[in-house]
Amino acid sequence: MAERLEIGLRPELYDPAGRGLVAKARAYLGYGLERVRVLRVLTFDAGLSAEELERVRVEIFTNPVTEVSSFAPLAETVLPDFDLALWVGFRPGVRDNEGATALEAMSDVLGRSFGAGAAVYCSRLYLIKAPRLNTEQARELCAELLANPIVQSWRVIPRAEWDPAQGVGIVLPRVELKHVPTVLTLPVPGDLELNRLSAERNLFLNPADVPVIRAYFNDPAVRASRAAAGLAEPTDVELEYVSQARSDHCNHNTFNGRFFYKDMLSGESAEVDNLFKRCIKGPTEQLAAERGWVVSVLWDNAGVARLDEAHNYAITAETHNSPSNMEAYGGAITGIVGVYRDPMGTGLGSRLVAGLWGFCVGPRDYDGDLKPALHPRRLLDGIIEGVRDGGNKSGIPTALGLLNFDQRYLGKCLVFVGAVGVMPHTVAGAPSHLKKTSPGELIFMCGGRVGADGIHGVTASSAGYSENTPAGHVQIGDPYTQKKMHDFLLEARDRGLIPYITDNGGGGLSSSIGESCRYSPGAEVDLKKVPLKYDGLDPWQIWVSESQERMTVAVRPVDAEAFLRLADKHAVEATAIGRYTGDGKLKLTHGEKVCAYVDVEFLEKGFPQWEFEAHWLPPAARGLAEPVLAEAADLSGLLADLLDTPNLCSRAWINRQYDHEVQGTSLIKPFVGRHRDVPSEAAVMLPVLTGRAGLAMAQVLLTEYGDIDTYHMVAASVEEGFRRVVAVGGDPAQVGGVDNFCWPSIQYDPQGNPDGRYKAAQLVRACWALRDACLALGVPLLSGKDSMYVDGKLKGRHGLAQRVSGPPTMMFTATAPVPDLKRLQTLEPKLAGDLLYVLGQTRDELGGGSLYNLLGFTGANAPATEFEQSLKTCRALSAALDAGLAASACVVSRGGLGYALARMVMASGLGMELDLDRLPAPPGLTPLKKLFSESTGRLVVTVAPQCAAKFESLLEGVSWARMGRVKAGGRLLATAGGASVLDLKSGQMRKAFTRRFGGMI
Amino acid sequence: MSVRALVLAGYGLNCDYETAHALTLAGAEARRVHISDLTGTAQASPTETLDGYQILVFDGGFSWGDDHGAGVLLATRLRNHLGEQLRAFLARGGLVMGICNGFQALVNLGLLPMLDGRWERSVALMANECGNFQDRWVELLTEPASPCLFTRGLTRLDLPIRHGEGRFVAEATTLSVIESRGMVAVRYGDGKGKPARGRFPMNPNGSAGDIAGICDPTGRVFGLMPHPEGFYRLSQHPDYTLSREKARRRGGDLAPLAAGDGLTMFVNAVQAAKDAL
Repeated sequence: MAERLEIGLRPELYDPAGRGLVAKARAYLGYGLERVRVLRVLTFDAGLSAEELERVRVEIFTNPVTEVSSFAPLAETVLPDFDLALWVGFRPGVRDNEGATALEAMSDVLGRSFGAGAAVYCSRLYLIKAPRLNTEQARELCAELLANPIVQSWRVIPRAEWDPAQGVGIVLPRVELKHVPTVLTLPVPGDLELNRLSAERNLFLNPADVPVIRAYFNDPAVRASRAAAGLAEPTDVELEYVSQARSDHCNHNTFNGRFFYKDMLSGESAEVDNLFKRCIKGPTEQLAAERGWVVSVLWDNAGVARLDEAHNYAITAETHNSPSNMEAYGGAITGIVGVYRDPMGTGLGSRLVAGLWGFCVGPRDYDGDLKPALHPRRLLDGIIEGVRDGGNKSGIPTALGLLNFDQRYLGKCLVFVGAVGVMPHTVAGAPSHLKKTSPGELIFMCGGRVGADGIHGVTASSAGYSENTPAGHVQIGDPYTQKKMHDFLLEARDRGLIPYITDNGGGGLSSSIGESCRYSPGAEVDLKKVPLKYDGLDPWQIWVSESQERMTVAVRPVDAEAFLRLADKHAVEATAIGRYTGDGKLKLTHGEKVCAYVDVEFLEKGFPQWEFEAHWLPPAARGLAEPVLAEAADLSGLLADLLDTPNLCSRAWINRQYDHEVQGTSLIKPFVGRHRDVPSEAAVMLPVLTGRAGLAMAQVLLTEYGDIDTYHMVAASVEEGFRRVVAVGGDPAQVGGVDNFCWPSIQYDPQGNPDGRYKAAQLVRACWALRDACLALGVPLLSGKDSMYVDGKLKGRHGLAQRVSGPPTMMFTATAPVPDLKRLQTLEPKLAGDLLYVLGQTRDELGGGSLYNLLGFTGANAPATEFEQSLKTCRALSAALDAGLAASACVVSRGGLGYALARMVMASGLGMELDLDRLPAPPGLTPLKKLFSESTGRLVVTVAPQCAAKFESLLEGVSWARMGRVKAGGRLLATAGGASVLDLKSGQMRKAFTRRFGGMI
Repeated sequence: MSVRALVLAGYGLNCDYETAHALTLAGAEARRVHISDLTGTAQASPTETLDGYQILVFDGGFSWGDDHGAGVLLATRLRNHLGEQLRAFLARGGLVMGICNGFQALVNLGLLPMLDGRWERSVALMANECGNFQDRWVELLTEPASPCLFTRGLTRLDLPIRHGEGRFVAEATTLSVIESRGMVAVRYGDGKGKPARGRFPMNPNGSAGDIAGICDPTGRVFGLMPHPEGFYRLSQHPDYTLSREKARRRGGDLAPLAAGDGLTMFVNAVQAAKDAL
């Protein structure tokens, strides 16, 4: 017997959720709703007595000041003249966070526990007064605004069909698999059979791997040892395990591949054996050896670098593209909550101190013919909200982020999420960045339970999006459960209870145990001991499920009791599911039944390297040329137009929803200036409150340069990241980087991917630039990830589907300690009368830049980065900040000098007067190009007149010019050849800057 | 004898570190104590009590994920397990401060406004009128006539708000009692020292009477939505680099770790506790 409790705001109170729906229905669908009231619905399936029901209704679920509630329908109480009732609830098996906390609170209040099947389901009932809205339109409201069919179901009930006594009735989204868990034996007599099996089971095995897998299982020695364990042919558990571990997502087959690069114009060719080794690992190892501050890189869940004399920081970033593309909210919240587990599972565990985000989506106002899974506007809304709830409820400051629109992201959106943690150099007497498992230690799974959700996530993200992509891997993250686990694990770490910890992310237990048991080496796991959300899961599902909020921890048997006591205190589930052994075997059982028995190192050897042909054509040979532009008559108007473009205008509304100040660590926020809406160059935190060192973090995404040459794109990205962290006070000698590659498929296929060889060449050039930039600037790569299948197949007009490949994209994240907080600086000029300097050379480099983008050109002259020059400039600025000589420092980047100056004026409310003739630039560069060139390596700095001489004395070897002055009055004035060429008031700029998104909350 | 302050931790609370840090800077001996250690769990007995503490802080966060109303489930848990201790704590003159989620918990527990000593829910903090979570800095004006011990000596200050449910509501009669007894301790200002008069974003959530925080009639229990620990040091303020530059031009400096205005509330609490020792 189940009961339904409805809870709503008192009818006389304003209902923001209802108003929100009215506004969205009008803005998104053009539907006029008169009134909306939202009811929270709790359906109890827990065998409560009438007395208990009334008690929880009053004591827990109803606020007597603001709410009314009833076990009978409330609709006619809160909105007597409603025309439609829309009910939206989760599908079976989807994580219901509110339902889970309801049960927890009921258990506490009633002082009793509930049986295994007991549950509370939370849903919403929308009561709508809209006399002219028909049922079909109401369904659209559900499908487009209120629910996503992948995770939610809905009902539309017109008033005429409303049952006043039963209301929406009782919906119980119980999972009933009615399935007896089984282990299948899958004989694979030939490669053909294994390939077929791979297709049937969505294993996405690479055909080249198939013979190797078969050879292992046919090896007589292997067969003999398997026979002793009671196994013969491979089991479904084993093949699923292989599929997970060999996926591109886990194994980085592309970056570890062999590339046959050829310049099709010059005929020159080069063979690159392994991009990762040559361009990432090699340079980073070299730099790490030279620099004492690189603590741990290239092997753990996050990279570790030194913050100060007592603490290290751990950083990583990844993407969560495929799930977000289908279920934006669920994908994004799972992404941010998931990446937080990486620093948590680095070394012996770190405390989370910052989150980062980056969204790449199609145009928000897209009205073309292509039909992406979710319209970019709705997609973006969902992503923003997902990161909001995931970040805020984790209690981790969401320090910084960026948003980039490009129509090519319609095929698949990109959702970058980054995480930073801190750890003392030593915990419980041991170095915190080291960890290993040893024979005899227990394997604990902590946090959430395992369900069928998240199965095949890893393999699905290793493929493009199509109608057949299994939707089962979309999940909804639970930051509350994870926050409790975070607190629990830190306390356990500090007590010395944790010799090894890692997260359960892609691949679930198969990945966390598969990797952790390489140290001991070996493990035995009883999958029957794994706590499940519901019965009926097959052992292979338990093994590869990506159910969220789980960590795998090694615990010495002697510490198990203390570990469990701590888990109880923190209300975290922790279960010993096996133990590490030393026999080199991974043995999985389900109760008594052996379901996998393989060598621990089986997945590490013998697999063929992936191979790619990479054909490059230089920009000119591809027909790219500079546009022919006369000098503009109205540069002011052009700058204002630029300020209004989607990629340069204010997007403060997003970070406003994100708590970027929790933990009390904020130093420089994501936005600066009087109106707190001008994006800052980098965020800075004080990760350890009792410490003295800040940590600067910056993000860069310069996708459009890649349309000309991905070499320039990546070189510029690394250099800009470097310059950004230095501009806020970071130490140029301690800059670390994180690379996140998101690329379309590069495997050539004459039909499916005819330009695959060019995309492969773009990847090779990008990696070469990464290597060159990191070595030249001294930036070791602390962490990095790749996501290789940013492609979508979208239906267009007349049912004509087309492939939409994302542009080659690399997000670069730079970090640097701020060794003394006196060095902190922001971009806005501080006082009228200060002198205005530009550091760095401006060249004719507008290709792929914001101005050309606005005008519809690509151009040919992408900014070419001169690392040595940039290094000198950044070191000079660093010295000036150290001496307190620079009163502001602004990075010149997208939108050129014009956009940098505009940001400085808008942020400060002060004006600036400058002479463009003085700009360090080759002769003949026009004012238009001076203002909008995107040459790298440049900074605008303001300096108090009395500090000018000292400041200039630091600029040896740097291109620089004193351009003019900061003025009172908020007006940006520039002259060239003695004539005024730019005259804009701060108000005019702000109007353009905020027109598009300024009103959004 | 030093003042001892207890800061709640666990179950999704997330401002415990910086709140304890601010209390330490204010001169208290501050401890972060897990809620389970106070209430016990199904398997374990309590290991901590409120005895020996003079200040109890309900800090910010998302206790129980804010499900079923912000602060509701925390209040339920404490009412069930800690009610008697809380009464004793108040009876012996203990100070209680609730910040953000802590304020929400206090009103759900009925510790605020505690009119005539009654523990009942008579005010509420609803979803922001603007419909979304907001992180922004606001101006706060203190009420000169308020008995609140935490705001002594303050007239106006900037603090960050970071919440989705901060809209203060109460029935007209309750509201007028709260107003007439000076229990409105802090209001949202318009940035120029005058009340925001409901205008967004100066009043960021639509609170009645621009109410940002209230105290009980004794002034010893205080709850507010803005975060005083969010401005315990100068370099947390968004205008820090500007203010510092101005100070430098005057031949001085502004040390980044020097006390921010928010710290005053903790200093006041410690002083009030000391006075009562």
